[in-house]
Amino acid sequence: MTDFSVVGKRRPRLDTIPRALGEAKFSADLGLPGMVYGKVLRSPYPHARILNIDTSQAERLPGVKAIITSKDVMPYKWGVFAYTRDQQLLPLDKTRYLGEEVAAVAAVDEDTAAEAAALIRVEWEPLPYVIDPLAALEEGAPLVHEDKPGNVSVRIFVDEGDVDNAMADAYLVDEGEFTSPEENYCMLEPYAVVANYESTGVDIWCPNAGPHMKARPISNALGIPTSMVRVRKVHIGGHHGGRSEVSPADFMAALLSKKARRPVKLVYTREENMNCVRQVHGARTWVRAGVTKEGKLVGLDFKLIMDGGAYASTGPIAASVAYQMIEETYAMPNLRYEAIRAYTNKPPRGMYPHHPRTTYGGLEMVLDALAEKLGMDPMELRLRNSVYEGYVTPTKTVISSCGQIETIQRAAEKAGWKEKYGKLPPGRGIGMSSSACLIGFPMGIRGGSGAFVRFNEDGDATVISGVVDNGQGNDAMIAAIAAEELGLPIEAIKVVTADTSMTPSDQGAYSQASTILSGGAVKAAAADAKRQLFDVAADLLEANKEDLVARDGKIFIKGSPEKSVSLAKAARTALGRDKAILGRGDRWPKGDHKREWVSNPRGQLASAFSYGTAIAEVEVDMETGRVKLLNMTAAHDCGYPINPLSVEQQMHRSALEAGPAGVMLERHAWTAAGQNINANFTDYWFPLATDVPNIETIIVTTNDKFGPFGAKEGGLSISIAMIGAVANAIRNAIGTTVHDFPMTPDVVLRAIEARNESESGSTTHE
Amino acid sequence: MEQVLIKLTVNGREEDVRVSPHKTLLEVLRDDLSLTGAKNGCEDGSCGTCTVLLDGAAVRSCLLLAMEAQGHEIVTIEGLSDGQNMSPLQEIFVNQGAVQCGFCSPGMILTAKALLDSASSPTETEIREAISGNLCRCTGYTKIVEAVMAASGQPVPVRTHPYEGDVSERAAS
Repeated sequence: MTDFSVVGKRRPRLDTIPRALGEAKFSADLGLPGMVYGKVLRSPYPHARILNIDTSQAERLPGVKAIITSKDVMPYKWGVFAYTRDQQLLPLDKTRYLGEEVAAVAAVDEDTAAEAAALIRVEWEPLPYVIDPLAALEEGAPLVHEDKPGNVSVRIFVDEGDVDNAMADAYLVDEGEFTSPEENYCMLEPYAVVANYESTGVDIWCPNAGPHMKARPISNALGIPTSMVRVRKVHIGGHHGGRSEVSPADFMAALLSKKARRPVKLVYTREENMNCVRQVHGARTWVRAGVTKEGKLVGLDFKLIMDGGAYASTGPIAASVAYQMIEETYAMPNLRYEAIRAYTNKPPRGMYPHHPRTTYGGLEMVLDALAEKLGMDPMELRLRNSVYEGYVTPTKTVISSCGQIETIQRAAEKAGWKEKYGKLPPGRGIGMSSSACLIGFPMGIRGGSGAFVRFNEDGDATVISGVVDNGQGNDAMIAAIAAEELGLPIEAIKVVTADTSMTPSDQGAYSQASTILSGGAVKAAAADAKRQLFDVAADLLEANKEDLVARDGKIFIKGSPEKSVSLAKAARTALGRDKAILGRGDRWPKGDHKREWVSNPRGQLASAFSYGTAIAEVEVDMETGRVKLLNMTAAHDCGYPINPLSVEQQMHRSALEAGPAGVMLERHAWTAAGQNINANFTDYWFPLATDVPNIETIIVTTNDKFGPFGAKEGGLSISIAMIGAVANAIRNAIGTTVHDFPMTPDVVLRAIEARNESESGSTTHE
Repeated sequence: MEQVLIKLTVNGREEDVRVSPHKTLLEVLRDDLSLTGAKNGCEDGSCGTCTVLLDGAAVRSCLLLAMEAQGHEIVTIEGLSDGQNMSPLQEIFVNQGAVQCGFCSPGMILTAKALLDSASSPTETEIREAISGNLCRCTGYTKIVEAVMAASGQPVPVRTHPYEGDVSERAAS
């Protein structure tokens, strides 16, 4: 057993105490002297040209302090990549979805701001629109962006090996087509911004997945240096992929504050949060898989259409990750994958852990169908096809540490797979799925994380990192890493994070990189500070600094803890010798910088990969199609757990989002006129405590060489794996594949009826 | 709109507040009394983040006009502790890992308190039903259910992992 004193130990997250007390301040909880309140005027059309905006009446309303329209903005367009810059943060010429921002008002209170917004007169020219992605890709469809012919936002094409030959030679080939409408991130905290624009710059508090990733586009949109934009630390109520980018709200609040010369608070309603921040792609996936007689995969073939909505957002990444996770899960030499992300006149879509559920879930159901035809246990099929350490994927990514097989075996043991699979009573089903999750891909000059460690006079240490805590416990994670490396109790670590004026740049909470990169940077900074302390301690202990270790607040010669000097004394002694202990470190993703999502999808993709296996058991009412989720089991290879409690928390989060939410309940619905009709928690079916069974978790360790103390990431592999597990459990229970997500009772019932009809040999057409 | 003076009893204190009659209890708690522990997650009563106790019962403060709350004892999350030391229930939520992003936590903890004050050892089903009006996206509810079980003195699964061997050693010593 590794001899750690902090990491690997189960302990309560200290960062959650203010949240339990109710004293934690989220963006909407903040107030500043003289603050006024913002409201946004939104497009009532899915696609319309703005001919004129008349704010004169609104300006005359008492209490109005500022109004902004496209006249106040520079022609700056936001895009995650240089080649995807397509979103004006307040559109100049036309709006592209129903609900898009048109103007914003700041007034003495929200009611006045709303009243003023309603007084703004916009002269519209409604344009033809398209809300179905297949229709959007047809010739002659209305163009969402005039410079994007065919409404193709992104096309990803990967063709490695020889898929056609492999399928021709395969012993068995199966295929399926799967569909899914949009999902919502459903972070509990509605979007909220407080902005205070003064002559020296603008301070902004808002939910974010990386403050440094926000500061740059905000400064670009405002036309000021990045150093004048301070995105500040605040409690954040969830990210889930939906806080990844700059939001028009950030920009609007800043601009309103500049114009009003007062702090501005802009709080989105739940409907605005669900409709006007980001949604999850709707998708259609066709998948074909071929196997040998022994159940070895010979090739995979995918065609996807993704509904990207009005803007590119993280499109190139979103359209790619599914094939990447899959080729990092299953070893097979031939892979073909084509994804077209279509523009439509709907809200823009961003990243989500398990999207498209059609690709992950669809493939897993096709694999189970193949296993059935081979007479093979689906678990055996997954064991036979698992990747392994040192495996090179078709697109030339080398797998580092890999605990996938262990996750399969241990999840199966815990869930009683062998006792249950094929032996359950009618209407009951069990399903399994595995998945990799990529960690820390290169993101250019903003892709790394830096950290500082300094000592206070009493021997406590302050860690300064750009990492952001969205609720997953990143603050506690870096505190634990620093405590372990420095040899201090965790209570002696204070963290300062996520403030662009104070903390070094950080890649943000994307690609599960926080532990491996931000945590890695903190470990390096702590090691640097420790070396400086050892210089002093070596003197005090009359020892060689190479022989020293630090633990439990003391520095001593390895193996001789009886003679020690406290870290506090070493730090104070250093100060007495005119030397401040200041540690620094940085960490960058390990990947091929020449690899590019669209233009060059080849080379090392990411720094490491986590692995997970999920098993779910369901009971289906064959009369109504209603599915009851009986239990979920998840085993995750996190590398090494910085805090096992946090790893379990992440696995729980992933299991909920994938199983009950992703497979069984969640979807957005639209009118033909492009209106989202369930952007609220009453009509959008968020899983309740009564919809979710207990979730069993198993932590698997592989001690990754790149990760700090061997750690990789908390539990996101389960977000993907649980999709296939629940989908396959339903398939197992009803004896046929369900092709549409979410698998609500009507959908399941249709699948049961179709199976019954095909079994009785009758045709539906008379 | 004309404002009226109302008297609210919040966390054991009498508060005189001048409010517009259409203001909800949630708005008055947050905006006038600076008790921002109650959250506004949906403003239509479907998420439970605004839950407070009204005479000991868990209610949604976004569905109640502030004026209607006069004459009742209101307890918010701030009223459970002295601001420095967590109440036993809050501490159990933290120790069991039932708090993550924390946006649902004030409402969830107060709903749990109302349940525990009325049922001494609720079953898992009763707990799930009691909290089914409080949405949580982070926990999958498992650790919340366990926290409520633990708070009522019921056994909860003890999770250890192979490398956590020293945890049980410490417990044994």
